[in-house]
Amino acid sequence: MRRLPVYLVLDISGSMSGEPIEAVKNGVQVLVSTLRQDPYALETAFLSVITFDTSARQVVPLTELSMFQMPDIKATGTTSLGQALSLLANKVSTEVAKTTAEVKGDWKPLVFLMTDGEPTDNWQNGLNDFKNQKFGMVVACAAGSGANTTILKQITEVVVQLDTADSATIKAFFKWVSASVSTGSQKIEASGKDVSGLNELPPPPPEVNIVV
Amino acid sequence: MDIIKYNGNLEIAATDEMQLIKSFDKNNAEIKNDIISKWGVFENRNKSFVENKNIYIANGKVNQEYCFSFKIDELGLSDIGEYYFEGLDTFGLSFDSVTNEIKGIPVTAGEHKIKLVIKINDWGHGKLLLEKELTLLINPDPKSLWKNIPTPNDIEYFKPDSNQSFVKVESVQKSFFGENKFTKQILIAASQRGRSHAQEGRPRDDDFGLYYLKEHDWYIMTVADGAGSAKSSRKGSEIACRTVVEVCTSKINERISEFERHIKEFHSDKTDANRKCIRDSLWEILGNAVFLSVKKIEEEARGADRPIKDYSTTLIVSISKKFKFGWFVGAFWVGDGGIGIYDKNNQFVKVLGESDGGEYAGQTRFVTMAEITQPPELYRRLRFEIVDDFTALILMTDGITDPKFETDANLLKVDKWSELWNDLSKEVNFSYNNEDSAEQLLNWLDFWAPGNHDDRTIAILY
Repeated sequence: MRRLPVYLVLDISGSMSGEPIEAVKNGVQVLVSTLRQDPYALETAFLSVITFDTSARQVVPLTELSMFQMPDIKATGTTSLGQALSLLANKVSTEVAKTTAEVKGDWKPLVFLMTDGEPTDNWQNGLNDFKNQKFGMVVACAAGSGANTTILKQITEVVVQLDTADSATIKAFFKWVSASVSTGSQKIEASGKDVSGLNELPPPPPEVNIVV
Repeated sequence: MDIIKYNGNLEIAATDEMQLIKSFDKNNAEIKNDIISKWGVFENRNKSFVENKNIYIANGKVNQEYCFSFKIDELGLSDIGEYYFEGLDTFGLSFDSVTNEIKGIPVTAGEHKIKLVIKINDWGHGKLLLEKELTLLINPDPKSLWKNIPTPNDIEYFKPDSNQSFVKVESVQKSFFGENKFTKQILIAASQRGRSHAQEGRPRDDDFGLYYLKEHDWYIMTVADGAGSAKSSRKGSEIACRTVVEVCTSKINERISEFERHIKEFHSDKTDANRKCIRDSLWEILGNAVFLSVKKIEEEARGADRPIKDYSTTLIVSISKKFKFGWFVGAFWVGDGGIGIYDKNNQFVKVLGESDGGEYAGQTRFVTMAEITQPPELYRRLRFEIVDDFTALILMTDGITDPKFETDANLLKVDKWSELWNDLSKEVNFSYNNEDSAEQLLNWLDFWAPGNHDDRTIAILY
């Protein structure tokens, strides 16, 4: 079966501590329990979580939705966005199956990246690694006004911004991510094509602003 | 009762010892101090246990065997006595204290709250129970999440959610010695709306056509898959199938002697010139059938004032006949899906064309595309084959080839066709005397393949 890999890349630096990090954890929970009720997603979506603070790590390897469990994460340290991008590229290259003559590989991965600040590491190196991998749709989310959308724009065309990183707004973002994964898994089922543009996703809620 | 339960808050303090802590009974200073000191250790050690959020218990799936080996040592608690789980039986699981496994077959999906209860050994004053509430997630069966919403019958171009057809053929030929020779064949087809359509009450886009041309003993079969993204494609596939059958019938009638002469000549002398004669006949019959179906679709689109793109459909057609020397099968194929002549006894398959599935998933071609009806392109797609005999001639849409073959490379492998045939044979009785085979075929179409829920259509001559 062709899997739809979904990577959540989450900033858990010190500035996310308190309400934002709790909201992110709840958001992932809501995302997963919503998708579990969607037969398209339950059959095809696989989920991975990569977190980054002073370093980046994959806290959940690519796991089928039904077996996914959210680990406990704590906000601390700096914002190594570059490392996170390198790690993401590395994991995609090893975890996502490529199409060959004999085997139909996975669908191109969907990536949802959330950060609330300026990267503190050499993010250009990470960006280069990232650009060498093939992705379906990459959505970068600037949580609050502290995130640098200019840098995010270099990662992907699709950048959204949350006015504030409070729990209601972060929840709204994850609901939208959930709806996007649902739509994505339906779309590949119906048309047999990868998801590739923002216009193929459901319209974001008012709390989530598209950065042009 | 002398049990103390600790679950993060001191909720129950029903023992003499706990009374002592609370009242600081002056008469029992020794016990009091002992309890207070132990309680301190207890608080520190066990608070962290109860508050630890990372006690991992694997998720399960409803109605599927579940077995999780629970490793109590990993909790970092010493002095653990007996321990057990409460609440597992409410959804069909149990805890085996010998193997330390939570197991069984969960009967209800949901986020089940269970309780881990641990008896601590070294607590000298009564029994101490550590309690922690945990969640054990049981996933629903994806099958149960699919809805089957009937297509509203007042929509434009309504089409029933499923269809089937059965044609029994007995033809008689005089042999050289004047004896009657019987050819017994069955033509069946079935088409079923995919779950992804059923989920939203959308109509079936696939279609098929079957016809036995008794006068000349020819078999005509066709399947078509209306594009999911085109809103009137169900009409496109219907028009294509209907027109193909009509035109093939009339064109075979018209050219029967010339066409069959070409086939016989080629069989006895396989020259390029003879090959070309057959292809030219196929051009007249199949080429016209395809061309006229596109014209008919264009007419419909014009009448409805819509672009022809709205009626996009794939198309696979075969015309076949049993001659004394074997079977002739002519074919035309545009789009994905597949058509093959399968011979089980000789482990042979001949695929009559190439899938337009291509390298990029889902990028297929439709008969309604202008480039397809260009003469060179249409001619290129005509195929024929003469074989001694076969088990079945099979035409399928991608709702079947995607789950059963996965790739274009696999479509050429006889092993994959054998798997398909064995799978079919489990549900469909392909004997000449079984008149329920189309019904059985329709039931077979309901097979389960995660992530594959497109419309499914298959036509078989056997």
